[in-house]
Amino acid sequence: MHDAGPGPMARRKVKTSKPVTYADAEPSAFASMLGGLIEANVESRPERKKDFDSLAARVGIWVTDIDEGVTLVFERGALLVHNGLEPKRDITIRAEADTVMNLSNLKIGLFGMPVYYDEVGRGVAWKLLQGKMRIEGLVGNLATLNTVTRIFSVAS
Amino acid sequence: MAVNAFSDEWAVRFKDEVNKSSVYKAAAKGWKWTVGLVIEAEPDKNVPESVGVVMDLFDGEARDIHVGPASEAQSCQFVITAPYTRWKQVATKELDATKGMLQGKLKLKGDLPTIVRYTKASQELTECTTRVPVQWPDER
Repeated sequence: MHDAGPGPMARRKVKTSKPVTYADAEPSAFASMLGGLIEANVESRPERKKDFDSLAARVGIWVTDIDEGVTLVFERGALLVHNGLEPKRDITIRAEADTVMNLSNLKIGLFGMPVYYDEVGRGVAWKLLQGKMRIEGLVGNLATLNTVTRIFSVAS
Repeated sequence: MAVNAFSDEWAVRFKDEVNKSSVYKAAAKGWKWTVGLVIEAEPDKNVPESVGVVMDLFDGEARDIHVGPASEAQSCQFVITAPYTRWKQVATKELDATKGMLQGKLKLKGDLPTIVRYTKASQELTECTTRVPVQWPDER
């Protein structure tokens, strides 16, 4: 008799129009929050959508004071969010929770460059200088980092 | 003098602290949404029913903060939900609210870009709760 159970169906990749999907059946709170933030940002701001549609990169974010992280796999108009750090990342950002949140508050200035001279920007730059924020893979990926920062940015 | 946590007296003192804070006033400029805090029941901690804290916050000012049923808090534009013990950890600085949200210890409902834009304001709101001396139900 034909088995109509959900087993194989559950593993089938379903084409979805949602820009952000999750690799894990139970995304972590951090993964959900970051994915939700990017999705809302991309859907509400056309300039962020343009960046989102052009970006192909694997970005890791590790929050040092909660020992949790995510890998964001950008695939030109789609984002797959993994719990934890996955291999083959182009860039990995390691910082405390507050700094990760502040990355989203960086303003975007001339030529799409993040602004590092206002209060939030100086705070982020200071963390970088103090070694409290580390960015691995920066060499050769500066443009990618700037694009990711723009996609994150909720600052008006 | 200490007041009972999440009581009407506590809400008045909390509102006063928010309105005294110049940091909050500056950081929350432009904020115009209601915020509900849901304190989930923990009968073994002397919190038999869930409680709501309803905050009418506007442009750096707390226009009203009152304690009511959880359902009222749940109808706010932004809702943060956690069991009583977690809220106590936040108010006693054992748990940072930002970390708590990233870890899922505090559950947030509402527009994420907006809440992230006002991270500093929400951190200062947390600071304001720590300035109100309280008597905790599980310590009575």
